[in-house]
Amino acid sequence: MSKIVILGAGISGHVAASHLRRKLSKDHEVVVVSPNSNYQWIPSNIWVGIGRMKSKKILFPLAPLYKKKGIGYKQAKAVTFHPEGDKTEQKPYVLAEYVAGEKKGTQEKVTYDYLINATGPKLNFEATEGLIPGENKTYSVCTYTHADHAWHGLNEVIQQMKNGKKAKILIGTGHSKSTCQGAAFEYILNVEQELRRHNVRDMADITWISNEYQLGDFGMDGMLMSYGSMTMKSSEMVEMIFEDRDIKWITGAGVNKIEDGVAHYENLDGEYKTETYDFAMLIPVFSGHGFKAYDKNDNDITDKLFKGFMIVDADYTPKPYEQWSVQDWPETYQNPSYKNIFAPGIAFAPPHTISKPRESKNGKAIFPSPPRTGMPSGITAKLVADNIIDSIKSGKASLHHKGSMGNMGAACIASAGYGMTQGSGVSITTYPIVPDYEKYPKTQGRQLGKTFGEIGLAGHWLKLALHYAFIYKAKMRPFWWLIPE
Amino acid sequence: MTQRISKYQRFKMMNPILQFFKFIYLSIKIMIVVAGGHGGTRKAN
Ligand SMILES: Cc1cc2nc3c(=O)[nH]c(=O)nc-3n(C[C@H](O)[C@H](O)[C@H](O)COP(=O)(O)OP(=O)(O)OC[C@H]3O[C@@H](n4cnc5c(N)ncnc54)[C@H](O)[C@@H]3O)c2cc1C
Repeated sequence: MSKIVILGAGISGHVAASHLRRKLSKDHEVVVVSPNSNYQWIPSNIWVGIGRMKSKKILFPLAPLYKKKGIGYKQAKAVTFHPEGDKTEQKPYVLAEYVAGEKKGTQEKVTYDYLINATGPKLNFEATEGLIPGENKTYSVCTYTHADHAWHGLNEVIQQMKNGKKAKILIGTGHSKSTCQGAAFEYILNVEQELRRHNVRDMADITWISNEYQLGDFGMDGMLMSYGSMTMKSSEMVEMIFEDRDIKWITGAGVNKIEDGVAHYENLDGEYKTETYDFAMLIPVFSGHGFKAYDKNDNDITDKLFKGFMIVDADYTPKPYEQWSVQDWPETYQNPSYKNIFAPGIAFAPPHTISKPRESKNGKAIFPSPPRTGMPSGITAKLVADNIIDSIKSGKASLHHKGSMGNMGAACIASAGYGMTQGSGVSITTYPIVPDYEKYPKTQGRQLGKTFGEIGLAGHWLKLALHYAFIYKAKMRPFWWLIPE
Repeated sequence: MTQRISKYQRFKMMNPILQFFKFIYLSIKIMIVVAGGHGGTRKAN
């Protein structure tokens, strides 16, 4: 009998738990440890943040589902890692602290045979002075509660505009190393459309601010894509959309401080500037959770497990951008020191960024961190689960399932406005996610036919269809496993 | 050079009938990219 413990019930943790439970007999234990009592379909937060979808539509409670499916659940947060056990506990364990219920505040050693760390990112708002969701007129859409606040903030500004007050709206990244530009891109287009729907578009100045060197970088070094019968750069595509929607942009901007209605930033030219606003949605930098790890004698071994995020089978040797290769990226998400620990989704430490690193004239690093969107998070979680299942069933370690972001496609359906007839979406697929300059030297590291962009109403329908399909899948309804990650 | 979206392009982008077919086309195309598989990048030793 094996016990598999999964930390986190986001996209990757939940995907791993559901596949493990489906494919392993009840002799084996699957336990999820996660502090949030609800599963949330994060991509739809964009619509919560413009008041077009209620947050209850994007979430459901985990406990009843896990009880029904035979998945153990502890509403707790991992605190420390003990991959060798300790003097009193022979088995490896994670020290977890309950965050709700009768056991709130108590700690428990959760032992395991296999550990999946799917704790995603820490939304590190503190890294930018004054960037606090709901304060200083800045908001976030990274969680459903943040998105609810964002809609209240936006609605207030809309009402002021209806009463004749002009407003400035600023959306983008709130730190020089933030990622998730895609989410901010969706949000700015949705906000723009909502202002039109409320007949106040002419009262608003909308500005995109981002650490990207060029528009359309998305933390992926931009891409060359097929667009209809043309070949286009993602920067040209986004520029076309922003021009069309009358959205201004500031790129190469590392936001470093927020005051009430004022964003301070440094640009790549080394200039220190400010941008004022009445409503802002700025994505914070993502960081690891700061977990500590100890060996059986209680010595600190954090650097064996973590490098900010969790260390996996990547090549972390520091090297210049020109020498980066797809082979640097992990394939199995296994920790090299403790082979029964894995980290899929955002929880693994990337070997380096995907976008070219750039510094301002003052030496400040201003460029996006590498994104890991929902699809790769789900795919990497499933392959980790499959390797564990194979290892348990065959009785010997198996790493047959592999999935490098350098050999994996991703689809990003970016909402560009809500509505069954008036909505729009920018559908982008990329293959591979991490550009392979050796394989595709003439097309910026990507395969053209599989890297394409489309704009239109169908994109909105697709995003909505995905919303329902993935919530159906997450609820483990009949034949859920037929829906791919 | 920045390219603006022409009236004709916009008509095509927002026409529900055309977009219905686009929806089917995109769903299949995305499935091909997504379900097209994934793997490693390193040569086996
Ligand atoms: C607004 C927004 C829109 C997005 N839109 C899209 C999109 O359209 N398409 C797309 O592909 N991707 C999108 N993404 C990205 C996508 O949401 C992420 O890639 C995905 O959520 C990552 O999954 P994860 O499981 O690795 O991390 P998360 O989803 O962040 O899950 C982490 C889990 O770990 C738990 N946890 C945290 N700390 C601990 C701890 N100490 N112990 C135990 N558990 C812990 C958390 O509660 C959570 O359950 C979007 C992201 C945002 C913010």
